[in-house]
Amino acid sequence: MSPSSIECGTRNAGGGLASPVRAAGHARLASRLPRAVLLVLLLCFAALAALAEPKFPPPDFSETSHQIPATTVPGARAIFLQYLDVGVLAAALGMATWLVLGKRSRRWVLVLSIFSVAYFGFYRKGCVCSIGSLQNVALALGNGGYALPVGVLAFFALPLVFALFAGRVFCAGVCPHGALQDLVLLKPVKVPTWLESGLNVLPFAYLGLGVLFAATGSSFIICQYDPFIPIFRMSGRALMVLSGVGFLGLGLFVGRPFCRFLCPYGALLKIAGSVAKWGVEITPDDCSKCRLCEEVCPYGAVRQPEYGQPGPEALRQDRRRLAWLAVLLPVLAVAGGWLGGRFSHTAALVHPTVSLAERYAREGDKPPKAGAPADEILALERARQNPKGLEAEAAAIRDRFRMGGRLFGAWVGLVIGVKLFSLSMRRQRVEFEADRGACLACARCIDFCPHEVKRRRVNRSPAPARGTLQVT
Amino acid sequence: MTQEPTQTQAAAAAPTGAEPAARAWLLTQWMAGVFAVLLAAGMALSYADARQNDPLKSPQLAELKQKLLDKPADEQLKQAIRSLDLQVRQHYFVHVWRMRTGVWMLLGAAAVFGIAGAWSGDARKRPPRRRPEAELRLEATLTARRSRWSVAACGAGIGAGLFAAGLAFEPTVPARAPEAGQAPGAVAATAAPANDWATAEEIRQNWPRFRGPDGGAVSPLTNVPTSWDVKTGAGMAWKVPALIGGFNSTITWGDKVFFSGGDAAKREVFCLDAKTGGTLWRQAVANVPGAPAKPAEVPDTTGYAASTMASDGRRVYVFFANGDLAALTFDGKFVWSKCLGPLKNAYGHAASLATWRDRLILQLDQADSEDGKSKLYAFDGRTGQVVWQTPRKVGSSWASPIVIEAAGKPQIITLAVPWVIAYSAVDGAELWRVEGLSGEITPSPVFAGGLVLAVSPSEKLMAIRPDGQGDVTKTHVAWTLEENVPDVTSPVGNGELVFGLTSSGLLTCLDAKDGKKVWEHDFEMDCHTSPTIAGGHVYLFGEKGLAVVVEAARQFKELSRTEMGDSFHASPAFAQDRLFLRGVTNIFCIGTTNR
Repeated sequence: MSPSSIECGTRNAGGGLASPVRAAGHARLASRLPRAVLLVLLLCFAALAALAEPKFPPPDFSETSHQIPATTVPGARAIFLQYLDVGVLAAALGMATWLVLGKRSRRWVLVLSIFSVAYFGFYRKGCVCSIGSLQNVALALGNGGYALPVGVLAFFALPLVFALFAGRVFCAGVCPHGALQDLVLLKPVKVPTWLESGLNVLPFAYLGLGVLFAATGSSFIICQYDPFIPIFRMSGRALMVLSGVGFLGLGLFVGRPFCRFLCPYGALLKIAGSVAKWGVEITPDDCSKCRLCEEVCPYGAVRQPEYGQPGPEALRQDRRRLAWLAVLLPVLAVAGGWLGGRFSHTAALVHPTVSLAERYAREGDKPPKAGAPADEILALERARQNPKGLEAEAAAIRDRFRMGGRLFGAWVGLVIGVKLFSLSMRRQRVEFEADRGACLACARCIDFCPHEVKRRRVNRSPAPARGTLQVT
Repeated sequence: MTQEPTQTQAAAAAPTGAEPAARAWLLTQWMAGVFAVLLAAGMALSYADARQNDPLKSPQLAELKQKLLDKPADEQLKQAIRSLDLQVRQHYFVHVWRMRTGVWMLLGAAAVFGIAGAWSGDARKRPPRRRPEAELRLEATLTARRSRWSVAACGAGIGAGLFAAGLAFEPTVPARAPEAGQAPGAVAATAAPANDWATAEEIRQNWPRFRGPDGGAVSPLTNVPTSWDVKTGAGMAWKVPALIGGFNSTITWGDKVFFSGGDAAKREVFCLDAKTGGTLWRQAVANVPGAPAKPAEVPDTTGYAASTMASDGRRVYVFFANGDLAALTFDGKFVWSKCLGPLKNAYGHAASLATWRDRLILQLDQADSEDGKSKLYAFDGRTGQVVWQTPRKVGSSWASPIVIEAAGKPQIITLAVPWVIAYSAVDGAELWRVEGLSGEITPSPVFAGGLVLAVSPSEKLMAIRPDGQGDVTKTHVAWTLEENVPDVTSPVGNGELVFGLTSSGLLTCLDAKDGKKVWEHDFEMDCHTSPTIAGGHVYLFGEKGLAVVVEAARQFKELSRTEMGDSFHASPAFAQDRLFLRGVTNIFCIGTTNR
């Protein structure tokens, strides 16, 4: 290949931004589409096969000596195994840190991803996971009577602590959810930056919602609607199995859609990662601005350098916009709080006690339908035993929900305001950099940086890049 | 300014090893794809085969089972069913193994397919074209602007979602501190109705149904008389004429005693003053909505009023053999009434009423099992509306249902050939059943010492653990007695001992744990009245008028014998340290009068 072909982009006839390279990319995508579709179909088939397993009744004859075993609930995982899980998590985080910042090896990150999917995913059935653990922490904060297990606390805190120092190394190859999506990424399609900016708000909203429901003791919705748990467990509700397969299918083209646009723990890691002491450094040398890193990053986490200084008019506009946004920020928080308060009426229904009280208030004096044994009927019967107590309990929960709903709404308003503020700021970048908040530390950009490739060829041994964590 | 490519870039993008690697990954991808497709095809075939040979729908198995219904004792047929059952199960589990293994292999192949595809693409990755800075700067400005709008739109979407969700539901149960404009009394206005049934303690202090609070014929009273004299009136509170015919027993609530009576022409409810025996009121049950002008004929041996009344502490309920069902206040006013007749029962309906909370329970077994006329009803005591009704595939029976709390559930225990069936009092769903009844089922079940005692007349007495589910014939019958089994009267148990009385007057004491006989005594008197335990004594009343009190103990000890001068079919009621008993001609109240 000639050097000229490296920079092969040329303007098209219309002077637009389209290029033969993009056209070639589209052609490649078209050629690979059947294969991608095949992969999606295989995943769907696997999921349907898992769903298809019917329940088998016990034998009809009761005079045989066969004793039908009683239904049992699986016991809790042994304590030492719980500590072992924490140890494996800490070791995996340490390994990920070294692989991304020290060894700078995409290949070994991939190996770690496979291990994490196998251990934390399929072996540990995805539980306890750091994503769900934030609900346990929220419940412990909202309910003094709830004892937070040490192991769960460790799963919540360790990735955040690592993120404060080394960026989102947890996402790199330790989180089984992210690793699984990373492994199925076949043909990454760039999500337009503007769309990504908007969708990036969703994880923060989902985080707020998850905390609201957990802190009020209503439901662990993040676990309940986790799309990957049914895949790790090879069973689950049909809707969730299909949603998991759907996310994986989407993940063939869109890099880690769950992590980027929904994961509530990712939102926390994003905050921690954005103030991290160290992070992924793409190039070990001066950036030649070849844009390969930006091209290969499937997560839209590589930021361009600032091109030239803005003019005085542009600066004036920027300052004016920032001033407006500074005023808008508290307004958004207050408006969000009000909307959250309204929303709390409906949200409280997720709590079983409130739901039962509402049903009892509406249907309690009506006789249940004849001959239809259902949990709902039994619940109403329980409600009839102490309706006043139920009502008082439901009112207290509603009270908590109203406060929680306002805080949730204010949080969403603040996130939107801060995001708008952030998008209006100018950065002093002189080369392509990984956004420490958005970077999932997958190390793809490192592998493709020509300077890194050259350094590896010359040295045959990786050396730390500029400014990265000095690990030997 | 467009930057020129550097030597580094050129070096990095040199093709050394890149193309062969890409080809290798591509080949791997194809191999994985072909393997996965073949595997998926195999799984699809296995799935289709399993669907076609669904073990649950095996026609051969169904046919053999159908044949077994005609020849239940055919051991060869049973063996054939077992063999075929085992065969389809083995087939099924092989299928399950295939599918599970296949899913894992398929996922593995998909993973290899995906990874190989991604890496073959990576190996061909080329840097994008260079672009002028001005163009990039403009693009950055545009992107930032679009991003801000995108965030604003997303925020607006979330806000609209929250607002719509908030509008979608208006709570009935508000938070503690009501918002401005919300009526503080909203909760009270929509609050659920208060509990409209008696507490367990209230029920314990009364005798609200046939054979007492739970139909077990055990009174919690400790100071009941053991001897009295009808001729002199010693130890008796009062004796009044029965006023009307009927085989039902008296029930009590507070200071009131209730019973019913009647014939084809007239049916009435009576309320006596428990202190004096004076009639407080009598109410004819007539013109019941839906009742035919002429009631169905009922044999005199049972009559129109064999069914004992019941009370939930708020109302009293009465049922007659012509199908008239009514609820009355304690003052004799009608709350509601309805007719469920005409009833198809060769001997006439005799099962007594029961209550659970504010519900009236009626076991209405009629005709033959094939006729599908038998049902168990739960009526709302306040309105008479059917709360639930459960069809029963049984024929006529005459035993009264009991309502017990067992295995954490309120259970209605019913007897009819050939089943003892327990239903949930909440919704009428069947909980468990035991096969083993035959003949004409007259003795009612009782719950004693954690066991349900059910009598198949003159055949066997079964003690059943009431914590099963489904057909528990083989697993939950704790013990069975086939000697001195009652035929008409119901058994009674105090938790430690069980007493059974035959219609010829043979009283048998059994150990409640294992059903072993402790002692027996033949009183040589005809008995239709079921034995009752009160104050540690067993009370027996002969048809010819002999009353006998014995100790409810492991040693037989007769405490008293009294000639009552009447004939008895009804069972006694114990309340307020006294005994109320209906004879054919008189109503007796035995005990002191100073209450």
